Amino acid sequence: MLSLRPDSRIIFLLALLSVCLVSSLSATDEVAQIKVSLDRDTIGLDEQAIMIVEISGTAQNLPRPILPTLGMFEVYSQGRSSNVSIYNGKVESTVTYRYMVLPQRAGTFPIRGVALVHKNKRYEGNPVELTVISQGTSASKDLQNKLEDSKGKSRDYYMDAVVSNKNPYVNQQVTLTLKIYFAVQTYGSPELSEPSTTGFWTEIVGNKAPYLQKIKGRRYKVIERKYALFPTQTGKLTIGRAILSATVARRRTRKDPFDVFGMFGSGEEVKMRTIPVDIEVKKLPTSGRPKDFTGTIGRFTITATANKRKVDVNQPVSVTFRINGTGNIKSVAAPILPDMKEFRIYRASSSENISKVDDKIGGTKIFEEVFIPKVPGQLTIPSLSFNYFDPDKGRYEIASTKPITLHVSKPEGYVADPEVPYAEPEMTIGANANDIRHIKNDPGELKQADQLILLKPLYLVVNSIPVILLAGMIAFRIRREKLAGDIGYARSRSASKMARKRLSTAKAKAQVETSTEFYAELSFAVLSYVSDKLNISPHGLTTEKLALLLREKSAEEQLISDVSEFLKQCDFARFAPSAVDQAKITASLADAEFLIVRIEGVSCV
Amino acid sequence: MYRIIIIIAMLILIAGSAMGETYAEAFQSANKQYESKHFEQAISKYNEILGTGFESSAIYFNLGNAYFKKGDLGNAIVNYRRAERLDPTDDDIAENLSFARNYTAIQMEGVELNPIRNFIAVTLKPYQLNLLAWVSSLCFIFLMILLTVRFGLGFKNRTLRGSIVAGITLLLVVSLLTTYKYRIDYLTDYAVLVAEDVPIHTGPTNASDIELQGMPGMEVEILSASGDYYNVLFENKRRGWVHKELVAVI
Repeated sequence: MLSLRPDSRIIFLLALLSVCLVSSLSATDEVAQIKVSLDRDTIGLDEQAIMIVEISGTAQNLPRPILPTLGMFEVYSQGRSSNVSIYNGKVESTVTYRYMVLPQRAGTFPIRGVALVHKNKRYEGNPVELTVISQGTSASKDLQNKLEDSKGKSRDYYMDAVVSNKNPYVNQQVTLTLKIYFAVQTYGSPELSEPSTTGFWTEIVGNKAPYLQKIKGRRYKVIERKYALFPTQTGKLTIGRAILSATVARRRTRKDPFDVFGMFGSGEEVKMRTIPVDIEVKKLPTSGRPKDFTGTIGRFTITATANKRKVDVNQPVSVTFRINGTGNIKSVAAPILPDMKEFRIYRASSSENISKVDDKIGGTKIFEEVFIPKVPGQLTIPSLSFNYFDPDKGRYEIASTKPITLHVSKPEGYVADPEVPYAEPEMTIGANANDIRHIKNDPGELKQADQLILLKPLYLVVNSIPVILLAGMIAFRIRREKLAGDIGYARSRSASKMARKRLSTAKAKAQVETSTEFYAELSFAVLSYVSDKLNISPHGLTTEKLALLLREKSAEEQLISDVSEFLKQCDFARFAPSAVDQAKITASLADAEFLIVRIEGVSCV
Repeated sequence: MYRIIIIIAMLILIAGSAMGETYAEAFQSANKQYESKHFEQAISKYNEILGTGFESSAIYFNLGNAYFKKGDLGNAIVNYRRAERLDPTDDDIAENLSFARNYTAIQMEGVELNPIRNFIAVTLKPYQLNLLAWVSSLCFIFLMILLTVRFGLGFKNRTLRGSIVAGITLLLVVSLLTTYKYRIDYLTDYAVLVAEDVPIHTGPTNASDIELQGMPGMEVEILSASGDYYNVLFENKRRGWVHKELVAVI
């Protein structure tokens, strides 16, 4: 047996209590609530109602609800739907169960005890009450009359427009319900032309799931479509006609002999129109109207939250004002902030989220304000009030936030003048602030504004020189290698040079005494120039062969003739030197030079 | 002919020195106004020098100081940023810019910088674009010389081949960094909010909703322009439209 000292027992009991408290709190968090509702609170004995059980919480797997024993009803499940939302980092899920409730007898029956058990804890939903009328119909006398035609026969189809309030305040929600009744089969989807709602801000609430209703012994399928209308002006406003086109089963007047089993029903297109509805919009009362009232109608709450409570001077604190409730959320104005000298205040953002709950439009409007404390210490953002008119109560109401206290400290390392550190922004960064580094006395190098070296000619030249060098060196190397590897090419490239050399040698011998050597050298210069160009041996190259080769290279006949004549003259001068004088030698040298130039002009030589 | 060239060269030198003197005098005159706490006059004088189409980091720095002393935080930060662009290594500019930024009342939340981009930006910050351009140029010349030795002179060995690969890599890296710096400094426009209250709109008209309230000293990137409005991007990636008269382009 475990024995504990008295002190230890107390600590143990406290710890146990804490654990129980924490676990119970966490369990409470996991399942927030069970909400039970009925689509109608009065039905006929032959009709049905839909019971909706909505379970919301943070638990991931919310259990199914347990229904109490409902002896006076038959209950059938119609399925479930779920919705998961993430808000402020918390996951919230809502699971909705639908049940069809069929009454067994007339009377008023409370439905209570819808519950669920989660982590050994029982959660119970709110009680609801359903009235079952013995006459077999819940329809009003007015509706029963509407569903009769002029001859007193029940109509096959009908569309009715019903408003929740014909005398609302300006900007107060009026719910318009279009009810479409079908006692005959319909084909395809009906087409609806929406009613005109001039003078209203309109939000479509949506369609309700079709249900059956027995009226004067006839079973109708009823479809409901709802609109939330907010009158934007006072006086008389009219909701226009809604028109519905649908194809319904034709009423047979005589039996079709071919439709033996009644299987081939034919369709008939019909149109239904609602009667325009007049609305008389009231002005808001002037008595008790706050001075700063901005025209918001509905029922709202306001909260304020700061993203941090401890902050340095000049550092921002984001405060979120959340206005939540039912009413025209779009018309909700930002809360008016009082003059707060200790803060600079800036509007950061605003957003709105419209929601529809029980046919009522509402939602949340969020205003984010940035507060920048100017002075250190304990600063308070005071309680802010938000005025609205509650149409249900018929009076003006005030919603308020709680004050927010901030602990503002001096930033570390701040070197401003300690006498006037944070008094006013003008003082802080004005003429008295001596804590920036002093101005420069050296003006520095003056440059033309926006002059980039990248676009200057110097930069382009410096970068292009190595490219030119590389290209030149590569070209030189290619040429050198070609000269070394291709003798024909090398001879061709050096032919002019060699010819000039030989002509120079001949020139040195251009004397009458050495005319034989001169003409031999001159003849060899011309012959070897052509042989170098054509990469053939000059030895054995005769005048006739040379003429033939030049002709092959498409040289002019005049050039070929001149070359042949020149070589003959050279031979003649070599073998008959007595006929040579100095003038002839000079002329022959010039002729040789000119011939070489002319041969160079011949293509492919 | 030579005499004419010499005369022209002397005239250019004289004109240059005269202009330099005028500039130096105007600068000292503006400094005197600053010392006498006549900040408006000092601002006017510094702006006169800048109006000639010439600039220096010292003028922008002193102009930033004058604006700061006058209490115009937005214009002070603009001019410190301009000075920093011309001389990113100057300690005085960095110090005063940092000091001025302390007075920007709103610090943007939700800023998530790309760590690689941030590293490159911080690494390149002390270097001017012109310096990086010359470094790129040197790398290019070095590579061209290596290629000339290899393909122009026909030298072949492993060291040369390795040097060429290293040269190409080095040139690629330096060129990319230079391009990045060019993009950041010259192709991307930045601006500073200079008016006391700067409404940031959801569209380029005065009738557009106000997205948020800007404050003097906040820096933005200019994405585009439409009429009298700039489409701007804040550090925390929020966008909006701001009237051109309420900002100063860096």
